[in-house]
Amino acid sequence: MSALSTNVFAQARMKWLLVVPLLAFFVVFFVIPVGLLFATSLNPQAIGQVAVTADLTLDNYLRFFSRSNYLLAAGRSVILGVIVAAITVVVAYPMAYVIAKTEHPGRNTFLLILVLAAMQLDMVIRLYGMMVILGDEGLINQMLRGLGLIGAESSVQLMYNFMGVVMGLVQFALPFMILTLVGVIRGIDPSLEEAARSLGASRRRAFLRVTLPMSMPGILSGSLLVFALSISSYIVPALMGGFRVGVLPIHIFQQVAEGARFQFGATIAVILFVLSALAVAIYLRLGRRHSGGLA
Amino acid sequence: MTRKLYTPTRRALLKGGATLGAASLLSAPFVNHAWAQDVTYDGEVFDAGGAVLNIGEWGGGWEEFVRKALTDQFETDFNCRINWDSSFPWFPKFVTQGPQNPVYDICNWNLPNLTQTKQAGDFFLTVDEVRENVPNAADCWDFAFASGAGITWAYMPYVYAYRTDAGEAPTDFRAFWAERYANKRGTYGTENGLMHAFFMATAQEFGADQYDMQAAFKALEDAMPMKVSEFTFNMLSLIERGEVDIAVHIEGEALSLKRKGVPMDVWMWDSKPILTQTKTISRYSDPMQKKLAFALMNRTLSPEFLNAFGDEFLWRPTNANASITAPLAEEGVQNTAEAVNEFWVPDWDFFVENKLEITDRLNRIFGL
Amino acid sequence: MTERRIPLVLAILAILGFAYMLLPIVVVVLAGLTAGEFLTFPPQGLSLRWVAAFLSSEKYLSSFFFSFKLALMTMIVSTILGTAAALFLSRTNMVGRAAMRAFFLSPVVLPGVVVGFALFAFYISTGIGLSRTIWGLWIGHILYSTPYVIGTVGAALAAYDTSLEEAARSLGASPWRAFRKVTLPNISQGIQAGSIFAFIVSFGQFEVSLFLSSPNSEPLPIAMYNSLRYQFDPSAAAAGIFAITLVIASVLLTNRLVNLRTLLERRQDGS
Repeated sequence: MSALSTNVFAQARMKWLLVVPLLAFFVVFFVIPVGLLFATSLNPQAIGQVAVTADLTLDNYLRFFSRSNYLLAAGRSVILGVIVAAITVVVAYPMAYVIAKTEHPGRNTFLLILVLAAMQLDMVIRLYGMMVILGDEGLINQMLRGLGLIGAESSVQLMYNFMGVVMGLVQFALPFMILTLVGVIRGIDPSLEEAARSLGASRRRAFLRVTLPMSMPGILSGSLLVFALSISSYIVPALMGGFRVGVLPIHIFQQVAEGARFQFGATIAVILFVLSALAVAIYLRLGRRHSGGLA
Repeated sequence: MTRKLYTPTRRALLKGGATLGAASLLSAPFVNHAWAQDVTYDGEVFDAGGAVLNIGEWGGGWEEFVRKALTDQFETDFNCRINWDSSFPWFPKFVTQGPQNPVYDICNWNLPNLTQTKQAGDFFLTVDEVRENVPNAADCWDFAFASGAGITWAYMPYVYAYRTDAGEAPTDFRAFWAERYANKRGTYGTENGLMHAFFMATAQEFGADQYDMQAAFKALEDAMPMKVSEFTFNMLSLIERGEVDIAVHIEGEALSLKRKGVPMDVWMWDSKPILTQTKTISRYSDPMQKKLAFALMNRTLSPEFLNAFGDEFLWRPTNANASITAPLAEEGVQNTAEAVNEFWVPDWDFFVENKLEITDRLNRIFGL
Repeated sequence: MTERRIPLVLAILAILGFAYMLLPIVVVVLAGLTAGEFLTFPPQGLSLRWVAAFLSSEKYLSSFFFSFKLALMTMIVSTILGTAAALFLSRTNMVGRAAMRAFFLSPVVLPGVVVGFALFAFYISTGIGLSRTIWGLWIGHILYSTPYVIGTVGAALAAYDTSLEEAARSLGASPWRAFRKVTLPNISQGIQAGSIFAFIVSFGQFEVSLFLSSPNSEPLPIAMYNSLRYQFDPSAAAAGIFAITLVIASVLLTNRLVNLRTLLERRQDGS
């Protein structure tokens, strides 16, 4: 009895060795640097000043919360993250399922290559491709005009607005979600689905009752990644939104990268971080309820 | 041979015990230190003994050309090595490291960013200090020194780039506001230099003078809906695809697209503002680096380099002895005192002082 | 062996999904193959001239290989650190496990420019000599890539029954052997996906690199954005074509290697 518990204790200690390297790395190169930057949000605005001083103030936060455009941007960022994560799950799941269930090695490799090729293309140039398709003079609008669905001079606004940003981010996030899901779907024992089938469940029912619930860990962790990607993206909202869709990363970029107004930039970053942390906490809580203790 | 190690070590020592505060000592005048001592340069080639010169300069195709046409030979002639950094933006890097620990010895800028840095601390040698030590500066037009901090070596006028298949060509600055260009007019995000110039020109056109910010805000509000872009590349592709029929642009780049066969042309704004390339030399660079910076500045201003550069990218030279590249010369562009006299360098000091408010208002106008 | 049939609805949805994912890619690839002078779609005739231009550009190529090297370095460290951390998270019952998982995800929720700048300021203020060196840049990239590994490996582990490994242990296998023979094969898909993410996130990373990249050797995205400021030619699309070609080649190559290995292992087991 005591021998066993010593063993368990030793194991528990050993377990920590798995995480200590990363923890140490994160503390030194993430917590401290970002913490110091965050702390400057409590200092008065001084262009170019980057060090923390003892001069504390809430001015930056007051400024943020007294301007409607920042508040709107905050709300928009969170909503954007949620919508993109939801759409990406729905679009990616069938794709991942097909890849996971394609056993022919050649076909499987082909599908994987498609996903990886999509990922590998630099975002700015990929957004050029989106513009060719979705722009006012893009392929879709040309097609609609050709079919006489809209006037020769008019166009349907598919980008340079919130919807454009959503479509751009889904494009960006799809491969990430797919690859996360493929791993999980492959890990599901196929005999479970077969067992359900042999008990008389239709193929659809077997999928809905067995495969889909068992994919929950992948769906949760994938959508969390996509949420994080979307809420922090600068380039996609900037280009697909035509600088008309205000989100927090655009404001942060303005303040930090171009204006060297680090205090206010840090303030926006703190708010973005807190919002994300809240969203993630809620999410993990929901996730635990629905998947019986993932996370 | 030890120089490479020597420089950073000494810098580290100079910083002394200062830790987090080091970057914030913006304007303490440490005039007695070795790195602030007088350095003179007379235009001759010298042996720098393998010293490293840190430069901030655009990358990509620009870098490829400038290396071939200028710096490769410079490294050989002066026995030095150039550390080329093209990760813009440079302003936050300068202010984070502070004036005494300059991130670059010599840096190439657009004026709004340069002015922003100049106002944030004692980073650069003054125009006069640079002029004295750069022989070729004597041949430059006066506006090459308008920045107050560096020397402008190339420039091009701001224009509207417009599609020739989208109705009549614009003939005045207000053409941009024409009804037919609704949602077909293009400008840039709040931090883009082209937007800054457009803002100043708009104030000048719609208000009492270039300082009339309220008039500019009002006019830009009226210009919505606009297509707002981040990169000039992005704007060129918007024009090429017909998403935009008229856009704020600069002469050379827009013309290069025209030369490639896109149905478009340019119209130069009648207020004649110019986009400039200006090099600054850091006040607190080490003596050898400072001397190399003078030498590099001198070569940058040489007619040989400016001519080659103009031929490649259609920029115009500020050196009176350099020539205008053939494609521009054919259009009647000249490099004479009268021709350059009409150019306008907006008051960037004013712009930078009011930048916070301008950014805020533009954000609201764009809907950010 | 016959293909397992896939429900029709899912198959149709998947085809639509692939179309959505790939159309912009096809546009860019075709535009990059234009024979004309500028980036346009549809292309003005097809040629490899811009790919050739990319391959003959010293600047682009050196950036490409720098990014490739950096992405490999990042992938290796992120995969090891991330997999280990995910294993820990799946095996501990400690309070705050969820918080720790969220903590490891946190770099990704911040725009890259925030972390990049924070590191830059940190390197300078501490004077530890990492400012604008490949090592400092590497650290930034690892911060951004590791969360992906934790995410995918964590998901694979959540779907995997740890009792299998315990069973192996109880049958006398050493912890390492039980892990290698039982757990590892079961989560290898997750590790693979995670390492691919780590590579690609690093390879395409622009914002983090903005403040951290070192002089003379800048990552491809930075070089490309820099170039796109002045040039309107298809070389950026050509760079994309080259990158895609490389991905295809490396997938085919690793597939061949993996197949070879499984073949060898089977033979061993069979003998």
